[in-house]
Amino acid sequence: MMRSRFDEQLATLHKELIRMGALCEDAISSARKALLEGSPELAEKVYPIDAEIDRMERDIETLCLKLLLHQQPVARDLRQISAALKMITDMERIGDQASDIAEIITFMQGKTSRDFVLIDDMAAAAGRMVTDSIDAYVRGDVELAHRVMREDDIVDELFSKVRKSLIDMMVSSPDEGEFALDILMIAKYFERIGDHATNIAEWVEFAVTGLHVTEAEI
Amino acid sequence: MTGRIFRSIFLVACIVLVVCFAVIMGFMYRYFASTQKEALITETALAASGVEHSGMEYFDGLDGGKHRITWVDSSGRVLYDNEVSDVSSMENHADREEIAEALATGVGESERTSETLSERTIYYAKRLSDGSVLRLSVNRYTIVALVLGMLQPLAIILALAIAISAFAASRASKRIVRPFNNIDLDHPLENDSAYKEMAPFLTRLEAQRRRIAAQSEELNRKCEEFAAITDNMSECLILLTSDGTIVAMNKASMQLFGTDSGCIGNDILTLDRRSELRELVGSALEGKHCEMIIDFGTSKYQFSADPVLHDTVTDGVCILAFDVTARLLAETQRREFSANVSHEIKTPLQSIIGSAELIENGLVQEEDMPRFIGHIRSEASRLVMLIGDVIRLSQIDEGVYMEKEPVDLRELAEETVMSLTHSADAKHISLSVDGDAAVITGVRRLLQEMLFNLCDNAVKYNVEGGNVLIDIRDGTDAILLTVKDTGIGIPLEAQGRVFERFYRVDKSHSKDTGGTGLGLSIVKHAALYHGAEISLDSTVGVGTTITVRFKKQ
Repeated sequence: MMRSRFDEQLATLHKELIRMGALCEDAISSARKALLEGSPELAEKVYPIDAEIDRMERDIETLCLKLLLHQQPVARDLRQISAALKMITDMERIGDQASDIAEIITFMQGKTSRDFVLIDDMAAAAGRMVTDSIDAYVRGDVELAHRVMREDDIVDELFSKVRKSLIDMMVSSPDEGEFALDILMIAKYFERIGDHATNIAEWVEFAVTGLHVTEAEI
Repeated sequence: MTGRIFRSIFLVACIVLVVCFAVIMGFMYRYFASTQKEALITETALAASGVEHSGMEYFDGLDGGKHRITWVDSSGRVLYDNEVSDVSSMENHADREEIAEALATGVGESERTSETLSERTIYYAKRLSDGSVLRLSVNRYTIVALVLGMLQPLAIILALAIAISAFAASRASKRIVRPFNNIDLDHPLENDSAYKEMAPFLTRLEAQRRRIAAQSEELNRKCEEFAAITDNMSECLILLTSDGTIVAMNKASMQLFGTDSGCIGNDILTLDRRSELRELVGSALEGKHCEMIIDFGTSKYQFSADPVLHDTVTDGVCILAFDVTARLLAETQRREFSANVSHEIKTPLQSIIGSAELIENGLVQEEDMPRFIGHIRSEASRLVMLIGDVIRLSQIDEGVYMEKEPVDLRELAEETVMSLTHSADAKHISLSVDGDAAVITGVRRLLQEMLFNLCDNAVKYNVEGGNVLIDIRDGTDAILLTVKDTGIGIPLEAQGRVFERFYRVDKSHSKDTGGTGLGLSIVKHAALYHGAEISLDSTVGVGTTITVRFKKQ
């Protein structure tokens, strides 16, 4: 009787975590769309998603602690719960960064990522990493988790490309300085989102195999 | 079971033991008591005659055995007692019940319990001829003492009873239980070794077994029916429980989500977690019908989710989805078509109205009059041409039956070339027909239309001094009609769209060339009507080749 309740709670945890991951994906895609359209109205749609992510973080945290205290899980169950505790922190950061991006978009005065195509590539790459990391969690797919960890290099590379071409842009047209800085900030946030997705992938691997390897060891 | 049987047997054994013991003891005690008493009376009579005969000397050397012999005189003073040597110290016995009775009536008897409860003493006294009294007494064991004395054998019997009961109980229970253990529950009525008493139970069991078998067969059949129906429908069907777990999915939906039956029992979120789907499921779980169109790659699916209500509580969700890509596309095309038709009709009309107003208000010089009237005429004929095209297209769309006849493509091509000579000459374009005479069964008017439009385009979008070649080849399995020009060509990105209605590659020049934008659309439909395939090969600046492939039946 006790056990079945425990299993039920674990299933709820799994489900809630997927839901939170889905919200992160929504936040990123909304931010990307707003950036593409340069529309402050679209950007404002990110804030309620971020608020929902924050609320879910607290709920899942409470559920995890309750499970740890009341059920004293061991082995795989313990790994799943502790990995969940770490993952929600990363997801919450992803939500925050998406809403930070949205805030910058509000002040970009109608400039869009069409004026700087590389940033949309970065948004797409970071979004894909988050989607893949959540997919890896849903399916318990270690192979996919490893791919996410490798994909981080692509985002990092894109970031340095963005930086270089922004420098060129500032030299050639100094009037675009403010836009260049905004783009740099956004690029940095996307790069951070990629890092958080990598973290999630690492925790997925930990939950499945019990090994926690960092990016450098892959 | 064994324990219970053991307890019953043991209890019975104990009860029997105790009752027997009590009854036997009672009888034995009474019997012993009466024989002892008779012996005492006899002994007393014997001793009395002895004492009467020889007086005190009788006691010398007398062995009283178990008996105590007391002799008292008529006043109650003890003359002799075989257990007490100093009789003078003994108290007067005259008030003893048996002695008093003997003094009075000749014989007396009494029974007294000594201090130690386990002993009782019976007394018997007889008055001698000299008035003295001789009393004999003997100790008798009480029933308690007897019982106490019997305790050891009793304990042995009890232990024996326990052992035998345990053994018997285990044997009995095994024997009783064996038929139960050997029952074949799958075939309840084929148990010959079973107890008669079990027959109703077994019959009931058999009946229930049959009912369950019938029900599960019915259930399986229904499941198979359900699966057969849902798996063969092209719509996607998904059933969820109230917490979002997948209960059933048909083949179409598994294909849509790229999964297999392994996902049944998982949450819908593990399949797809896009926000639209979450919203859809969420609102259905709240008891509201919800519909939306969700993109799956290049296809669009219309999803509709309904709550499965049990009384007023939402028990689950039923999701139905179907591909609406073609329908939405058709809708868009229809909308675009009507918008285009209205626009295309309005433009020449406005031009006509403008010219007519100028003439009406006398603003046109006499010498300009023919030009204006010519303009009105050309715009009007353009309008007629356009409306004719639209009518033909809608006829083909409606699938109106048209008479089919043998048509010689070569002959038709030559006719077309003749009709276009005038416009071709204007641009110094050479028009030529090459190839075999090929007869196909088709609608002459449509084929004519097709050839005219193809050639017209080839001339219209050609360069000064270019050429157009119409080639007809009668192959083994198909007749190929090729119209090749050396014109301006169609850009790659436009090649997929030129067969759409009102689509024009170069919008700004459309007025100069004077087309309706429906030409290639008519060609496409005419080809479709004849089951022919169209292929387009074009390079900008080099020319365009359009091949129509009529399959031979």
